[in-house]
Amino acid sequence: MEKNNISRRDTLKGLIGLPILGYFANRFYVSNKRTSTKPKVNWSEYGISEYDPDIIPATGYSAKGDKIRIGIVGFGGRGSYMCRALGYAHESWAEGFIKNGSPTSLLKNFLDQEDLNIEITGVCDTYSGRAEEAVETVCTSIRSGGSSKADAPKIYPTYMDMLQDDKLDAIIILTPDHLHAKMAIDAANAGKHVYLEKPMCQTADEAKTLRDTVKKTGIILQVGHQNRQQASYMKAKEMVSKNLLGPVSLIETFTNRNNDHGAWIRGIPDEANESNVNWKEFLGDKPLREFDPDMYFNWQKWFEFGTGPAGNQFTHEFDGVNQVMELGIPKTVVATGGNYYFKDPRDIPDVFNVIFHYPHRGLSLTYDCTLRNSNVRPMTFMAEEGTMEVGVTFSVFPDSRSSKYKEFKENPDEPIFTYNPKSTAVDAISSATARSYFESGFGYTYNKGERIDCTYLHIKEWLNCIRKDIQPSCSVDRGFEETVTFYMSNLSYLEKRLVEWDAENENII
Amino acid sequence: MKNIEPLNMTGWQILSLTILRITIGWHFLYEGLIKVFNPEWSAISYLNNATGPFASIFNSLASNSAALGIMDALNQWGLVLIGLSLMIGLLSRWAAVGGMALLALYYFANPPFKGLGESSMAEGNYLIVNKNLIEIFALWVIFQFPGSKLTGIDRFLNFKWSKIKN
Repeated sequence: MEKNNISRRDTLKGLIGLPILGYFANRFYVSNKRTSTKPKVNWSEYGISEYDPDIIPATGYSAKGDKIRIGIVGFGGRGSYMCRALGYAHESWAEGFIKNGSPTSLLKNFLDQEDLNIEITGVCDTYSGRAEEAVETVCTSIRSGGSSKADAPKIYPTYMDMLQDDKLDAIIILTPDHLHAKMAIDAANAGKHVYLEKPMCQTADEAKTLRDTVKKTGIILQVGHQNRQQASYMKAKEMVSKNLLGPVSLIETFTNRNNDHGAWIRGIPDEANESNVNWKEFLGDKPLREFDPDMYFNWQKWFEFGTGPAGNQFTHEFDGVNQVMELGIPKTVVATGGNYYFKDPRDIPDVFNVIFHYPHRGLSLTYDCTLRNSNVRPMTFMAEEGTMEVGVTFSVFPDSRSSKYKEFKENPDEPIFTYNPKSTAVDAISSATARSYFESGFGYTYNKGERIDCTYLHIKEWLNCIRKDIQPSCSVDRGFEETVTFYMSNLSYLEKRLVEWDAENENII
Repeated sequence: MKNIEPLNMTGWQILSLTILRITIGWHFLYEGLIKVFNPEWSAISYLNNATGPFASIFNSLASNSAALGIMDALNQWGLVLIGLSLMIGLLSRWAAVGGMALLALYYFANPPFKGLGESSMAEGNYLIVNKNLIEIFALWVIFQFPGSKLTGIDRFLNFKWSKIKN
């Protein structure tokens, strides 16, 4: 020791890390062994992978082929969203997403969207201010997929004038609910393909007529339930169809919002008046009355023009459930609720509760809505073997009485399956429990960990179906089921009775 | 690297520096091994979800598969090697520099510049200073005070310190 000028004590000091490293190795071995021997369902045996990056078919569709010429009818609350899905972002929107000269991730998501190979040739809106806004948006310099600035679309006075254009291939209908059926039927009869915002129609009869017209004319109609592109729903469907949950007896769905915007108070532009609003065209088939700007701009507040929480919000939930379980139309429906909080002119409820009975499927579907609380609850499938909670991600929890997953029943709060398409696994370093992903809600879905706008994918699917002459995921048949189902709940609420569906004659009793 | 001779520190000072170095080493080693042992681990979601002024650089790393492969390997094995090095005190000053560089990447991928609400999944509340930043500065201390030359393998690499032997 002395030869090397290092004493024994120094040597020991120099090696102080080694026993700690040994202790680390021992603890790591034990902890790793414990994790790997924890009971785990072998999902691959059932043909389910916990991470499946290529689940959304629309991401792979090509936009090659003929350019599709599109007209947009109605440019209200949904207009600018739809234009971004189509590849046109208004400069004023984009400016909000540029920080220090570079685009933030949301704007980058937009710019990364593929060029859909379309042309917007016409727009119309019963309020001239919005028609002009539509033109401005289409002529933007902020285009996705490297597209160049587009020519200005023509402003048509009415949608019927727009439908006269022989060069027009398709229309996107973003108008108030009471105009959906008539516009879509007229478009189908004019041979134009239709993308129709949800809800498909206001009533069951309208839905029936529209369905029959679409089938007769052979056009491609996609209902605007963009959550058809939600990866978690697709995965949840696999889980149910492989019978990994056992019989589902109850499905709970919810909408909770707690702000004026959520209660359909959307404001009235100062410039709007009778001279620049085509009030008569807005009324459509409804009885003529005096111009009422509140009714015009905040039409969702009345059953005459809108469809209440059932048509506006429940339809999102219903279409999700219908995707996962192919439920179709319920046998009976009972709904209740009331208008307790919002005392402005309106006739729709702000607290709304519905039970949809499916005796032929051995289950009930419930829907609860309040416009005075914003607690978010996931769509919940309650089954014999477990409970599945579905949102942008989804988890399956074992039932404490499950026979299939009995080795897990001691931890019913710990999911036995979690699908999180936002993330492949844990992040870089867990200084934070650091999964810093965003709760961006349902507007977006995730593919290979990448965030994509659902509406963009839904439009992309519709365009692909037009080019290939095939039916889209949210076809007129799905729209028919959606409209009849929510309409039954509105009828039950308004008439205070149990409403029944006669499936054979397609009639509500 | 400029050779810094151990200072004339008290036993408690040396002990505290040694504990700091070994605990940071432990943290790095475990973070690294967890990733090495998880076949599904990838930095992709972390890079994709980057926020702040450098977000676009991190995003572009995620979209390039070659760059992503390098980032994944660098993270996994970088963390393991830095952790080992700090724990046993071998080439600790180099490890401290490497550790600071990796931590700086994590810090700038999700900088807590705006405070609350920036990262809904973080386990604490941070404004500009978060644990990554503190660990960076802790490693700077390790770099500046080479305790490993007394209580690490580094001791045996340089015999001319014989003068400070007991």
